[in-house]
Amino acid sequence: MSAARNNILARVRRAQLTGRIPGFGAERRAALTATSAGPREQPAVKPRREVALQRFLDELALLGVDYHVEPSAADARARVAAIVGSKSVLRWDALHLPYDIGQLWPDAADGASPRARQAAAEAGVTGCDAAIAETGSIVLLSGEGKPRSASLLPPLYVAVVRRNDLRFSMADFFAERADAIAAARCCTFVTGPSRTADIELTLTVGVHGPGEVVVVVGP
Amino acid sequence: MAQGERGTAAGDFATRVRLAMADDHLRGALDRATGLFTARRSAALASLEHADAVRDAARAARLGALAHLAENLERFEAKLAANGAQVHWAETPDEANRIVAGIAAATRTRVAVKSKSMVSEETHLNAALERAGVEVIETDLGEYIVQLAHDRPSHIIAPIIHLTRQDVGRVMEQQLHVPYTDETRQLAATARLRLRDAFLRAEMGITGANFGVVENGTICLVTNEGNARMVTTLPRVHVVMMGIEKLVPRLADLDRCLKVLARSATGQKLTVYTTRIRGPRAAGEADGPEELHVVLLDNGRSRILAGETAEILACIRCGACLNACPVYRTIGGHAYGDTYPGPVGAIVTPGLRGLDAWRALPDASSLCGACREVCPVRIDIPRMLLTLRGAATKAHPHPRSLAAAMRLYAWTATRPRLYRNVVRVGGWWLRRLSRDGWIRKAPGLAGGWTRSRDLRAPAVRNFQQRWQERQRQRGATR
Repeated sequence: MSAARNNILARVRRAQLTGRIPGFGAERRAALTATSAGPREQPAVKPRREVALQRFLDELALLGVDYHVEPSAADARARVAAIVGSKSVLRWDALHLPYDIGQLWPDAADGASPRARQAAAEAGVTGCDAAIAETGSIVLLSGEGKPRSASLLPPLYVAVVRRNDLRFSMADFFAERADAIAAARCCTFVTGPSRTADIELTLTVGVHGPGEVVVVVGP
Repeated sequence: MAQGERGTAAGDFATRVRLAMADDHLRGALDRATGLFTARRSAALASLEHADAVRDAARAARLGALAHLAENLERFEAKLAANGAQVHWAETPDEANRIVAGIAAATRTRVAVKSKSMVSEETHLNAALERAGVEVIETDLGEYIVQLAHDRPSHIIAPIIHLTRQDVGRVMEQQLHVPYTDETRQLAATARLRLRDAFLRAEMGITGANFGVVENGTICLVTNEGNARMVTTLPRVHVVMMGIEKLVPRLADLDRCLKVLARSATGQKLTVYTTRIRGPRAAGEADGPEELHVVLLDNGRSRILAGETAEILACIRCGACLNACPVYRTIGGHAYGDTYPGPVGAIVTPGLRGLDAWRALPDASSLCGACREVCPVRIDIPRMLLTLRGAATKAHPHPRSLAAAMRLYAWTATRPRLYRNVVRVGGWWLRRLSRDGWIRKAPGLAGGWTRSRDLRAPAVRNFQQRWQERQRQRGATR
């Protein structure tokens, strides 16, 4: 163990005894003996799935994300094919894509392809591990066959969401998918297209990540 | 910029303030930016259900992490290590920079791409790595321009609000040898092209951390541009440099903190890319770093934690207090002279670098309390500004003339008849010094006050006179 580590931890331990941290130490004990209602910020009743879907779509619209809700697997597959058109594709392994979408492009670039080929792809296609209605987010857990670059490098990103992937809030996702989260080394929330307002506060999309994001919701 | 090297600015605070106030462009840009940020923040918080409860919970999470920081740090370290990350500890900026330079040497890094990190600004990491032969490229658009222009960031989340798009166009023309344009989309496209190449070439990615989650050893990063994802996906090595204070105990706390951070910083419900990293890439994964290093930096934080301003360590760096502060809105970020500007900087900078050299900063506040009101985690900034003012005065008592003047004032103010006469004569005299209702240079000791602002001339009929007249009239009508 390094000297720096021991010195820092020793100083922090001493500091915890003297520092003025509101609500802790003596203040906390006083507050606890008074009342402890605790914060209540979550809605008591979980919204129905249809409500969650509508909220998800509303949030996507606000973010400038195009979306399509399709009734069947075949419709969803056809929709994705139409969006991608003749663009070159970087995608997750077919195994991880719903509705047999992987079969649309058997020779597409994937995680195993050389970096240069991945970087040249014009469209990225992924499934998702959840979609969050409250914020319009696509949740991606890293893992074998699910390259992180597919949602990042190409200028167009197409995310495919199954109805069952939908969660109302981030907190719901954390609670319901704790095991999957614990198994993944990287968990990413994608909420709209890459954007910046650094130059004169003018909104510009696609500065590093995809400037165009399309979400296809299937059955 | 005349200030040259990124980091501590030259000159004293008063000089920097004078320079800033003479800059009409800066004043206009600040006005526009801070006004817009403030409006967006209000609208975004209004859309958050139970906003007050969420803010309270976020505050409790951050303060709770600090109250048991040593235990939390040990647990955080153990969780990260269990997932294959290497954790390093640094007491000083030099030590932190040496650690990163050492990792660069061991991994034969020639190019490092960097996502925005305040802590690495604090340690001047870029200069240290460049001395070690590593090319460092900032990838946040604003920070990239700052780096090209050899300038300094002036706002925590909008580093180049002091520059126009024409300024940016000229910087790119000179530094990148591209044709001049002032079209924002074109400028961003040029940056995308250049930086994309850097992402693909770099052996090392460097980031800060927005939060560290103790419960499961998570590093959480947020960016709107996606550069933090690039930096943590493509290079072989990922180095996180973070202050020891950035922890939250549980994953559920992270949810609340992210909600209030995005809303307070840019008025979004969630930042576009929120990345949680728990270790290097797992077996079988196609991308993500092969090595993950986390450098935990103290640099004075444990000293702050021990004292009266410990609460400032709960700051989540959203920048809302800058946008709300009438002083920041007037003088901008550079005038504060160090990494952290605005009300938060007025407490953090003296804490990290010593009150003695930075005692002017806590005075740069009207104590109006706007910062405390907008702070997503309700940090009582005005209380701590007063504490620091008190400490500064204790160390360097005011000139004896000022103390004598205060005693004279107290003596006069407790003698009503004398006080009324002094006020009448004094008011007449001050009006004679004024032009168009304003005094631009007050005499004697009061001169210090008008160095950076004008003083309004006293009214012809002062409050006491008007009050007396009013009472008389009321008596007459009764």
